[in-house]
Amino acid sequence: MLLLLALTIPAAGWIPARWHSSDPKSLELVQQTPINALLLEKQHWSPDFAKAAAARAILTLGVITPADAKVSPETIAAAGHSALVLEDLSPEAAAAIRATLPALPIVEIGSRTRMRLDTEDPILATNQGLWAGINTVEDGAAKAAPSGGPWIDTNSGFLRFVRAVTSTPLWLGNRPPESAVIPPARYLQAVGDAAMVGARWIVTLDAAFEKNLLAGDETALRNWRAIGDHIAFYEQHPEWRSFQPYSQLALVQDTASGGLFSGGILDMISVKHTPVRAVPARRLEEKDAMAGATMAVNVDPEAMTADQKQTLRQFTRAGGTLLTAPPGWKFPAQREGQITLDKEDVEKLDQIWKEVNAMTGRRNLGARLFNVSTMLSSLSAGPGGSPLVLQMVNYSDYPVEDITVHVLGKFKKAHLLAPGAPAREVEVYDNEEGTGIDIATVATVAALVIE
Amino acid sequence: MAGWNRRELLAAMLAGPVAGAPAARSAPVVVAKCPSYKQDQVALMDAMFDKLGGLGSLVKNKTVTVKVNLTGSPALKFQGKALGVTHYTHPDQIAAFAHLCQRAGARRVRFVESAWATAGPLEDYMLDSGWNVRRMKAAASIAEFRNTNGLGQFAKYAKFKVPGGGSIFPSYTLNEAYAQTDVFVSMAKLKNHATCGVTLSMKNIFGITPASIYGDDAGEHEPNEKPEKGRVNVCHLGKRQPASIADPEKNRSSSREASERMPRITAELVAARPIDLAIVDGIETVTGGEGPWIRGLRYVNPGVMIAGLNPVCTDTVATAIMGYNPRDRRAGAFAKCENTLLLAEQMGLGSADLKAIEVRGTPISESMFSFAG
Repeated sequence: MLLLLALTIPAAGWIPARWHSSDPKSLELVQQTPINALLLEKQHWSPDFAKAAAARAILTLGVITPADAKVSPETIAAAGHSALVLEDLSPEAAAAIRATLPALPIVEIGSRTRMRLDTEDPILATNQGLWAGINTVEDGAAKAAPSGGPWIDTNSGFLRFVRAVTSTPLWLGNRPPESAVIPPARYLQAVGDAAMVGARWIVTLDAAFEKNLLAGDETALRNWRAIGDHIAFYEQHPEWRSFQPYSQLALVQDTASGGLFSGGILDMISVKHTPVRAVPARRLEEKDAMAGATMAVNVDPEAMTADQKQTLRQFTRAGGTLLTAPPGWKFPAQREGQITLDKEDVEKLDQIWKEVNAMTGRRNLGARLFNVSTMLSSLSAGPGGSPLVLQMVNYSDYPVEDITVHVLGKFKKAHLLAPGAPAREVEVYDNEEGTGIDIATVATVAALVIE
Repeated sequence: MAGWNRRELLAAMLAGPVAGAPAARSAPVVVAKCPSYKQDQVALMDAMFDKLGGLGSLVKNKTVTVKVNLTGSPALKFQGKALGVTHYTHPDQIAAFAHLCQRAGARRVRFVESAWATAGPLEDYMLDSGWNVRRMKAAASIAEFRNTNGLGQFAKYAKFKVPGGGSIFPSYTLNEAYAQTDVFVSMAKLKNHATCGVTLSMKNIFGITPASIYGDDAGEHEPNEKPEKGRVNVCHLGKRQPASIADPEKNRSSSREASERMPRITAELVAARPIDLAIVDGIETVTGGEGPWIRGLRYVNPGVMIAGLNPVCTDTVATAIMGYNPRDRRAGAFAKCENTLLLAEQMGLGSADLKAIEVRGTPISESMFSFAG
């Protein structure tokens, strides 16, 4: 029955959280949210819990780490899980478990560089998510100088790339450091940071939060419900995941040229609030790979096949502007476990970043957003180019007010959506770039649906 | 920064002329209380200008150039607050002033700023600051917005000589908009300043220098029309000269201390490009520095507006309202720098002597808000 549950809820609908309780009563907390896939470490495996979860249409996924790699198939079967999560296992160990339990859906979670982007598993996942938010200096203050705004740690660039490679549902997460107390807003930002580009954050509460939650503490319950509201906000619009990026700027890269990094060129462009679409080099040979793009950046021309180069030649012949990394320039190699660029890597990247910056300037390549220094956004279009959805995440502790959006193209109406609030129509007006829209306030996440 | 109290203020206002103070021009200054920007800014400013003789006599049929204060990147907010309630000019005041100028028959009102590290459109910068540009334009069809950090729409720069020859630079080469000006207005914020002690209507004018010429990435000879940096090395520290289309420093062996150079440069700029109307917004602001990059900043609500036809007099009154002695030398607000007010007074730009300044509207003693400490 439990396996059947996994089969009846499509993997695209699995909404994950790590759960450190085997008390069936704790499932009442889960049911207050859209979360329906609990990752249970071995000490929390319990057939009774699994049955109680299944009765509530909640999946339990047994986590097997290297420490549990020798667990017997019988033990796994007895736990009654709907699926297994193989976390940080070597390929050999993972293969051995797969061989003993061929019927059970498997999710592998590990480092970014070990992700198998061509996996046939129901879910593609990594536990190397950054805690999204404003980067701070040692004393806790946001990095600040008269010269610029704060840098935002985000997974969105990495996720954009992976989502452009594969349509397999994508999870990422990170365990809170031991003894760390994560501010409640960071959970909401993490959820939004992943969801605005179509992925799901594996909710993992810090120990104090989880303890208080399980004990029924009112503050913890309130924060938990806020997490649930934010997840629900995105789950109410599953169609957004299939929308295509709405941008005239394409970044051509692949796993060997920064696609798996955070803080790479995709993120640098996003921080400038320029919409950008990732075009994996491996996808260049597909029809319409560059459709709609007027500008492109080719990060690693030397690694391209003749056919891939031909696609870009056709792009430029058709009037597209192509910026190519200088001869001999290579994207810094990514070490196993590395997810952000080293200082030396950033300096190296600066060589082509200046060119990218000069090329894009503040041109409108889909939309321009103003007064959004603590926000990132993702602009995508539905089938046929409508509606547009501008998903926004605010990474600051303060609401962002008085935002202006200039969208390419003429649109007639727009609605602002936010967690826990009814959709609100906002005025649209014509301007030189197409359509202008003013947004009064964004708390943590919001979406503008433009038609 | 140590301040002074109402008793000391009263003594300064009633005492005889300051010994050694040069006889300088004086003009009335109007002070008004205003607790919040939610209050009608048009009515507030209109009433203040009436006390100065009315806006019509100043701006009718004229091109009015208004230097606003948009210091530092708009990406830097203090405690998430709107920029206009901390360290930028408030947008409602921009709209109100534009509306009043139009109503008073001005030919054109051009809001200008050398925006931080960009020569791009000022409208973009204002939108990035959270200002509703559409609403501002709706408030006055004669309103324009110009970024003066480079050449902009003009074919050439304009040179402004410092009367008397100046002490740091003999002249300043600026955007042509400052030449095509009949009435020059400084709309400033009531703030402390790390380098100049206070930043008011005069210090606000430092922002008219284009980064294309005075910026850290200015060309050696030709202006850099795509500046991406500030103006620290040329002006504050004197580590390099401006692009050579501008006059170089007079004396390259003079002090390289920003606290000595910047007050002088400020006074020189005011002498070279005189201010006809000074407006200082102290409704909501910050103490402890000019922007969020300064440690120890604090949001405050002094609830006061100050305006006058002479910037030295206006800033003198504003400094007193901040709880400082405007005539302090190496003390109070000016403990770590030269006193711009006194430098300007010595250049004959206006009086920094409270006894010589007629204050209309709310008395200083009823408007004081301590910025000290």
